[in-house]
Amino acid sequence: MAATPGEATLARGAVGSSRPRWGFARREAMWGYLFISPWIAGFLLFTLIPMAAALVFSLTDFDLRKPDAIHFIGLRNYERLLVDHGVQSSLLTTIRYILITVPLNLVFSLAVATLLNSPQVAGRSAFRTLFYMPIQIPLVAATLIWAGVLNGSSGWVNQALGAVGITGPDWIGDSGWVLVTLALIGLWSCGNMMLIFIAGLQSVPSELYDAARVDGAGRWATFTRVTVPLITPVIFYNVLISLVTSFQVFIQPYVLKNGIPDDATNLFNVNLYREAFSFNQMGYASALAWVLFGVILVVTLVLFWSSRRWVYYAAER
Amino acid sequence: MNRTFDGARRASALLVLLSILAVACSGSASQSPSAEPSPSTVAVTPAPVETGEGGLTADGKVLIRWYVGLGTGAQPDQIADEQKVVADFNASQDKIVLSLEIYQNTTAYDILSTQIAASNPPDIIGPVGFRGFYSYGDQLLDLAPYIESSGFDVSDLDPALLEAYKEGFGGQVGIPFAIYPSFIYYNKDLFDEAGLAYPPHKVGEKYDGKDWNWDTLTELAKKLTVDTGGNDATSSAFDSSSIDQWGYYMQWTDPRGWGTQRKAGQVVDASGNAQIPDGWVDAWQWYYDGMWKDHFIPTGTENRSDALGPDNAFQSGNVAMDFVHLWYTCCAWPADGAPPTPHWDIAVPPSNDGTTTAKLHADTFGVMKATKHPDEAFEVLQYLLGNDTLIARYGALPAVKSKQAAFFDALDARFAPNDIDWQVALDMLAYPDVPSHEADMPNFLKADAAIKAFQEKLITTPGLDIAAEAETLRATLQDLFDEAR
Repeated sequence: MAATPGEATLARGAVGSSRPRWGFARREAMWGYLFISPWIAGFLLFTLIPMAAALVFSLTDFDLRKPDAIHFIGLRNYERLLVDHGVQSSLLTTIRYILITVPLNLVFSLAVATLLNSPQVAGRSAFRTLFYMPIQIPLVAATLIWAGVLNGSSGWVNQALGAVGITGPDWIGDSGWVLVTLALIGLWSCGNMMLIFIAGLQSVPSELYDAARVDGAGRWATFTRVTVPLITPVIFYNVLISLVTSFQVFIQPYVLKNGIPDDATNLFNVNLYREAFSFNQMGYASALAWVLFGVILVVTLVLFWSSRRWVYYAAER
Repeated sequence: MNRTFDGARRASALLVLLSILAVACSGSASQSPSAEPSPSTVAVTPAPVETGEGGLTADGKVLIRWYVGLGTGAQPDQIADEQKVVADFNASQDKIVLSLEIYQNTTAYDILSTQIAASNPPDIIGPVGFRGFYSYGDQLLDLAPYIESSGFDVSDLDPALLEAYKEGFGGQVGIPFAIYPSFIYYNKDLFDEAGLAYPPHKVGEKYDGKDWNWDTLTELAKKLTVDTGGNDATSSAFDSSSIDQWGYYMQWTDPRGWGTQRKAGQVVDASGNAQIPDGWVDAWQWYYDGMWKDHFIPTGTENRSDALGPDNAFQSGNVAMDFVHLWYTCCAWPADGAPPTPHWDIAVPPSNDGTTTAKLHADTFGVMKATKHPDEAFEVLQYLLGNDTLIARYGALPAVKSKQAAFFDALDARFAPNDIDWQVALDMLAYPDVPSHEADMPNFLKADAAIKAFQEKLITTPGLDIAAEAETLRATLQDLFDEAR
């Protein structure tokens, strides 16, 4: 059907009027893509392609020692992990670790951030630096140091507890304590989360605090009714990142693995590494990696879905 | 149009979410401090020589890569000698370049597996014990044709040991290099301080008028276990929560070693089923009680404490007796440059029902089947097998009998003014564990991991029923053996 003259004019006008903006948008997009191209290249080369390769490996019996004797075995690796006691136990251990570490990290980081955001604290910048500094220590070195500090026999923590008449637990050697210990070690590197919380706290408009004060709200009420709702996007971000990194935790339990009974630190990634590199079953380990990816994806989607109920974006309401 | 735009926006948002998740899963978004590689994964020697095509160096020489870390060889004071051995070889060569790669033992197996998977394996591995040979036996080259064509002299080697590197491997994958009998290292200063006589140096000798058996050793070890208040473990005032000196230890071994100290055995029977060998539950119970009831053996936590750490208990000077192999001379005092010269010597292990067992280790080098230059690799192998510097530094009693006297002379020079009774080491060769505590098992890597998990439980958990734990281990091993059928 031919366009009426009026429609044609409107169309031409629309095209004509949008040309300069489209050109600007394209140029802007081009520069944008140019700037992020190193990241995209890195993402493709070091993340997406290896992920695709892992997906292919997960359908094979790839043994690291026999790379030439690789066979396609369909979904057998995925069937196997459904009945693998080691996988089930490592997943449960990981969930237990997450239930301890995520709330602990969030509450501790928020508490420290709130403290270091208070104008009444002298030397805030110095304290922020001090709390952030542990991030710079390589995790392996930090874990080894903590292993000494928390040694049940000669560690400083138990010596300090002993000085006040308390017998400290065997933080690392006791399977009932070791996940708590890992979570406590994780607190040492709360700097990132703390900084993000500080940024969130500083974005809360001060007039809301003034209004709350005028209405007679106390400090706790102001914190729970004003501060927390307004930083829920930041809390959401920290929960998300904390969950993802907790699912992936590897270095600390791997470094501490000797001297821990009952596979108490056999978290999902440690088990995955063991299957891949200790038992050389790279095909099976690839299947485990994809399962972990799937679990994290589902948890993330659930978190995004739930965020509509508890995350407050001022611009949307 | 808006709907289309919304759809595109949703699709983009989903893509971004997936990308973020993928990157997060790759670890780069970790909140953790910068993920520097573990020190144990870093080669401690310079980067390997650059290669051109086909395993040749840029100037056309044949590159042979020597991979160290599967057994001994990665201790700091060994590395300098290994580098010198490589430099000497390269200086004598115009067609081969030898390149050295050293990894910490904790990750050396993982790294080698990865190199093999990446079609980038080294040419030579070692020194490595039987555990390594069972892990990579099917990746090793049969050396028989090269031994024959080169005229390599095997007449001075123990035929049984030569056979040990052939049986079950589908070829002669190794040539005996070093043997390591085991015995008790004892700290003379701690004995002198306690006013106790030294343990026997001859099998059959008595100790303080009593048979030198495990009961006698237990009593002796308790007297040598002391708390911070100076009370020994036989005293009613002894405080087991503040020990700073232990009477006995078995360093760097596992429950197969603990069991073998009493009686040699295998966890797999003739029909391929799992078993706990005769006497091993008793041996494990004794070791366990030594840690948790009588306190003369350090627990896992105590072993990692400042008093004994890091991971070299006898060297701390706080362990009186340590049952280890000859290779421990690598790491016993004095390390090069260490100021004090503590006084230690070696003694025979106690007997069990009149039978003495001194478990035996053996190390050698292997050539990977995937090497592009087997002839050159065999030439390097011969050089390494005959190198006296390596023998001395590894604390390795040469498998070549004619070199054994010179080996002990070198050790004497190293440990002077300590006068160590090396005859004990030679005598212990007559009491090997047959079958070996390092013998092959079905599903070897997983079975080995299960035994180590059993060990971790025992050294960290008080109040266990050892007989029940042993049965659990047997059932676990049976599952693993069945999995491999």
